[in-house]
Amino acid sequence: MSDDALRRVHPGTIAIGMLKSAPSILFTLPALYAAGAKFGLVTSALLALAGFAVLALTTWLGWWFLTYRLTPDEFVIESGVLHRSRRSIPLERVQDVSIEQKPLARLFGLALVRIETGGGDKDEATLDSVTLGEAHRLRLALRRAPLAADAGAPVPEIAEDAGGLLFAMPLERVLLYGLFNFSLVWLAAIFATLQTLDGVIDFDWKELVGIAGREVRGHLTVMAGLTVLLLALALGVIAGVVRTVTKEYGFRLDEREGRFRRIRGLLTRSEVAIVKARVQLALVHRAPLSGRLGWQSLEFQTLGGSDDVSGRQEMAPFARDEEVARVIAAAGLPAFESDALTPVSRGHVLRVALRHGLPVLATFAVAGAFLPLLWIGIALVPVPVGFALLQRRHHRYGLCETSAQVTRGVLAQRDWIVPYHAIQTVSVRRTWLQRRLGLATVAIDTAGAKGWHRPDVADVAAPIAVELARDLMARG
Amino acid sequence: MTLPIVPLQPIERGQLNVMRARGAGMALALILPACIAEFAIADRLPVHGAIAGLALLPGIWLAIVAPPRRWRHWSYAFTGTELHVAHGWWTRVHTIVPVVRVQHIDVAQGPLERSFGVARLVLHTAGSDNTIVTLPGVARATAEEIRDAIRARIGSAA
Repeated sequence: MSDDALRRVHPGTIAIGMLKSAPSILFTLPALYAAGAKFGLVTSALLALAGFAVLALTTWLGWWFLTYRLTPDEFVIESGVLHRSRRSIPLERVQDVSIEQKPLARLFGLALVRIETGGGDKDEATLDSVTLGEAHRLRLALRRAPLAADAGAPVPEIAEDAGGLLFAMPLERVLLYGLFNFSLVWLAAIFATLQTLDGVIDFDWKELVGIAGREVRGHLTVMAGLTVLLLALALGVIAGVVRTVTKEYGFRLDEREGRFRRIRGLLTRSEVAIVKARVQLALVHRAPLSGRLGWQSLEFQTLGGSDDVSGRQEMAPFARDEEVARVIAAAGLPAFESDALTPVSRGHVLRVALRHGLPVLATFAVAGAFLPLLWIGIALVPVPVGFALLQRRHHRYGLCETSAQVTRGVLAQRDWIVPYHAIQTVSVRRTWLQRRLGLATVAIDTAGAKGWHRPDVADVAAPIAVELARDLMARG
Repeated sequence: MTLPIVPLQPIERGQLNVMRARGAGMALALILPACIAEFAIADRLPVHGAIAGLALLPGIWLAIVAPPRRWRHWSYAFTGTELHVAHGWWTRVHTIVPVVRVQHIDVAQGPLERSFGVARLVLHTAGSDNTIVTLPGVARATAEEIRDAIRARIGSAA
């Protein structure tokens, strides 16, 4: 079979597309109902059928006009019925090929192929969806590896040959992780969804609440209050566990030929390739509670970013010291040398205390002028000041042999390992207050950073900041 | 009170005029609508010039006070391997761009800059927060000189 052949994504995609637009059909039901009352049953049934036919036709057209072709040096995707677009990706530009299986696609044995070119989310090309076998064939071909001889051979569900297993999370680990992912936010989200669904599904929500309200008023005791609170907490824990299990189930990280491969997910099974050469820095995060019990997470910042929530590739979401160290070593990054680091200036304590204490002081001082009772709030000032005292001990930095290393945070702690060659620019920043205190912040800019948290060294004495900036440049 | 990372040199005086002109433009955009509002509802104002007067203060700041301050704090140095750009009056920032990290480089000149004889050097890096490092207010010849030097370096590294 020639490889230049024009191909289409799997026809099952049409069915999936139809199923996906089913929820929006639900919204037309009231209109149909109204039409039924006005034009009679037969006419409205015909209308519905016509609507369905149009939907089927457009989905089919979309499928028919989406073609892809693999030539010896480029991958071409053409799409669009009226507005045609043609996109060709030179094979040498292909960085990663990841495969993802959403629940519906899994039912059909299909997978979504995402071709990453390193230009960020916008430049990614996706094929939604092809058979799993075709997905694997494409990945091999796009990576310019020798083509698999028998493309027709049955391919097992994503996890195939165990290359070099680096890190995996058994179910117990995922469940434990879920317990720490306790979240009331998710509970709120669930209720919010129920609220919006309320408009669609004719469900007498208010009456139910009314009954509950009467019940509550009937037995309004401390015990009842506590029960409700406990129930909310339990639901929060369950929500956390469910969310974590769906996302992290069967987490497995392999390493082979300069690449990591991460597979995870219960309903949506995803497989992501992370090329080692594109790793910019490692970030180890210890959460307030689980971090104290020795659990940590490891993320890699990569060129072109990541689709993960944090904007970095999650390499090991819930792991022990030695497991994290193993993944870091596999990426060719140096180990984190906690002992070799020096704390920032003492002035950091003063600045943090002023920055977090003063607003509290000012807020309650002003509020107290209106309502003297609020003067009590000033008693809260020692809290931020107390945290400030701990800040310095937890904010340390060091220039190691091949990397700059920074650690920061009292409750949530973060360790950065930034190889010198990944440093793009260095800035020395001094605010008005920092100049008064003789301090400076050294900001390290790297490629592909997203969201919060940068490996900045905040508040070192100005001459040290100068030295640090010079050193970083000299080693870069 | 600049940090002695490398000796820096100030930017061209022409840039001060560019900043003044921009400041004046912004001040006008603020004061003109205020004056119109002032005339439109003059009867209902407690004091004459309540709105226009209020707009005048930031206007003076933008057009007269701020430009020289900001201009004075712009400085730069090109060492051959790094470009240093320092700026900022309230928060001072000194950015160092290693030449080997420059992805591409532009020399730009807007109409205002052209009339005051200055140009802008724009460095693009692969970074995230400092993707674009701009050095305004250098003579066109200087900007082109630096650009060519950097281009030669990138070329030899690649």
